[in-house]
Amino acid sequence: MQPVPNASVFIVDDDASVRAGLAWLLRSRHLPSQAFDSAEAFDQMLRSGYVQTQPCCLLLDVRMPGMSGLALFETMVERGLTQVIPVIFLTGHADLPTAVAAVKRGAFDFCEKPVSDNALVDRIEQAIVQSDEFLRQRLQQEVVGRKIADLTERERSVMRLVTEGLPNKLIAEQLDISVRTVEVHRARVFDKMDVKSAVELANLLQHR
Amino acid sequence: MGRASLLDQRATFGTRRWFLWALLVVLVAAVLVMLVWLAGRYEESQVQDRLDRDTGDAVSDLRSALVRNVESLQALHSRNPVQQDRWVQDAAGLLHEHRELLRIEWRDTALLMLAQADTGFRASVFDRLGRNNAQSDVLLACSNARRASGPAYSPSYFVPQSEGFGLQVMELCVPLTVSGALTGYLVATYSLNDVLTELIGKQLERGRDVSFTEADGTRLAFHGVSRRGNRAFTSSQLLDLPGFTMVLRLDSWRVTPDLFPNVLTAMVVAMTIALGSVLVLLGRDMRKRQRAEQRLAEALAFRKAMEDSLVTGLRARDLHGHTTYVNPAFCQMVGFSARELLGPAAAAPYWPTELAGEYQQRQAIRLQGNSPPREGFESVFMRKDGSRFPVLIIEAPLIDAYGVQTGWMSAFLDISEQRRVEEMSRASQERLQATARLATVGEMASLLSHELNQPLAAISSYATGTINMLQDRTQAESKLSLEEAMRHIAEQAQRAGRVIKSVHDFVRRREHAREPVDPRALLDAIMPLVSLQARKLGVRIELRLEDHLPLASCDRTMVEQVLLNLTRNAMQAMDQPTIDDRALVLQVKRAASNERTSHIHGWLEFSVADAGPGITPEVASKLFTPFFTTRSEGMGLGLSLCRTVIEQHGGFLEFGANYPQGTVFRFTLPVASAPQAARTA
Repeated sequence: MQPVPNASVFIVDDDASVRAGLAWLLRSRHLPSQAFDSAEAFDQMLRSGYVQTQPCCLLLDVRMPGMSGLALFETMVERGLTQVIPVIFLTGHADLPTAVAAVKRGAFDFCEKPVSDNALVDRIEQAIVQSDEFLRQRLQQEVVGRKIADLTERERSVMRLVTEGLPNKLIAEQLDISVRTVEVHRARVFDKMDVKSAVELANLLQHR
Repeated sequence: MGRASLLDQRATFGTRRWFLWALLVVLVAAVLVMLVWLAGRYEESQVQDRLDRDTGDAVSDLRSALVRNVESLQALHSRNPVQQDRWVQDAAGLLHEHRELLRIEWRDTALLMLAQADTGFRASVFDRLGRNNAQSDVLLACSNARRASGPAYSPSYFVPQSEGFGLQVMELCVPLTVSGALTGYLVATYSLNDVLTELIGKQLERGRDVSFTEADGTRLAFHGVSRRGNRAFTSSQLLDLPGFTMVLRLDSWRVTPDLFPNVLTAMVVAMTIALGSVLVLLGRDMRKRQRAEQRLAEALAFRKAMEDSLVTGLRARDLHGHTTYVNPAFCQMVGFSARELLGPAAAAPYWPTELAGEYQQRQAIRLQGNSPPREGFESVFMRKDGSRFPVLIIEAPLIDAYGVQTGWMSAFLDISEQRRVEEMSRASQERLQATARLATVGEMASLLSHELNQPLAAISSYATGTINMLQDRTQAESKLSLEEAMRHIAEQAQRAGRVIKSVHDFVRRREHAREPVDPRALLDAIMPLVSLQARKLGVRIELRLEDHLPLASCDRTMVEQVLLNLTRNAMQAMDQPTIDDRALVLQVKRAASNERTSHIHGWLEFSVADAGPGITPEVASKLFTPFFTTRSEGMGLGLSLCRTVIEQHGGFLEFGANYPQGTVFRFTLPVASAPQAARTA
């Protein structure tokens, strides 16, 4: 697997030696990490206007004094952050059922302590890939949205009918304009949307 | 039988009794009336008989008197010749002697008066009438006399006297003959009244009248007192005189106030009264008794209703232990009918078979006169269907009206429901405690695993990372950082070791909690919980403690847990329908091989024996393995922990087969040091 550039890993654990150990392990696999000693600290960071633009992953301890890992996860679910920041739970034997339940609610995976070896790092990398894909998709959608915003009202109508697969003649009839005008609009839509064919346009819009 | 029908029956008894009483009274009255009547009749006939006899006597007296008079008259002419003045003198003498004669005349054959004499007691009778008016009667009498050649009488006739009075008289004509030739007549005039007065009246009894009557009943003469009373007896007899016949009649009058004319009647009446009063008294007594009976019946019915509606079972036993009474509630409780329960029986049918011996002993103790506890005691009874149930028994001596003890009275309360509720609450409490304990254990385990997980996770991370770095040639990690990682690993390993040591310390701390404990106190402490479960599973607990056991040196709480664990296992082993006699035997004795050193003063052996199905060899081999269990809810730590606890005390825990079936677990505990052991248990 190709390492994703600019990726980062967040570690939230109350135990300093666990944090240090995990950081050491990640460093050995060329993954930069950022450690937080409590769920509150990480939550603070998320709430202080932080926008995630780099692919990342969160290693979250379930059991911590104060705010528990599970509570933090809940706030992230509420705010729709679990896709951009995939969560991998670190759990003891007793917390296993809660971890399983969390995975069903959208957590990426869980890892049973004290096993923290390369298998864990592999899962972390997979999570980062997922985060990266999600970020890319979000970026592309933002671009398409901007391009559509540039279109005129008429161009948007033509584009809608084009993506439905109608020939120019029928489009002209429907919009009660000449075929020639349709062709002009169509060319302008293709130009503005930066596509070369109707199929490409349809693909672009499908991801919305 | 219902109370209403009982009363009905009593009512019919009542009416029948009243009918009998009425019949008795009527019969007695009839008999008495009959007796009185018969007595009266008898008396009447007696009176009548006497009257008849007296009449007969009177008639014959009269007749002989008249005959004597005739002879006296004839005597006047016995001397011959008869001188006239001398005759008159004699005649007057005769008249003086016989007041019944009014006049004597001497007449010749032609009935001419020759001489005459009148009675001195009366004024001349014939003054008013004149003698000649009677001539026809005299003639009739004399002609009769001549014909008969003997005295003859004339029919009576009335001679009026002054002031309306009169005399009934009759003439007697006696022919005078001298050597067969008629020479004249003697005519005597009788006053019939005076005849009665003179000839009969003297002998006449009180209350009697005598009279002459004609054949047709016309009264001619009468003598007697004026009539009193109303009941008359009459006797008439014919007085046949030559020439004249009349009837002599005697009347006897009963005196009115003489209600009881004779003793017989009086006695009968007295007896009647006595009988009547006895009857009345008897009747009153009867009524009194009847009222008492009714009150008694009502009281009895009330008592019975009370007994029947009681939910408390009642039983009475005599001094020989025979059941003499049971109430319906008791019958319902045990499911036997009263007939099955009453009477002599060595063992009552409601005694559970396995406990009958014990109960027999208890009964024997009771019969020796030892009073049971006043507050009652608990026991187990068996219903007819074989199910057992707990009862609360309150027994008291049964003292009769004379203050003598005649047996024992017992009240029974079925406390199975109460027991069930108790058990339920206790069980739930126990469950709660168990859950709490389990939660504590779980939390402890979780805490422990977390404490161990942290260093282990760190170690794992450092180790993996280091390996990664060593493998990755491109990475130019300094020797220093690798060394640092290794130091971290060592630190974390030490940290894990400290966690383990703290747990060990915790366990070790309990060793200091040893104290001398009475073995009996150990058993007593667990008995409430054990007997609770035993009751639920129908297990009988048997304690066998040697006398004068020394104290055990142990951690009381831990050993109690061991005992509890073993007894529970034993009881659960017996919780199978095929096992009838569920006996749990707890035994404490001095261990046979008592090794003694300076600090060991001997051993106590505790054993817990059950009658369960026993332990199979494959289970036996894994019995003390941690986490091995044959039960679904068990943790599998019980026996291994038990062994650990016992071994910490220096003893050993083993098990073997129990005779005839089941398993026995034994463990030993050291005896506490001598000074404490001297304190006998």
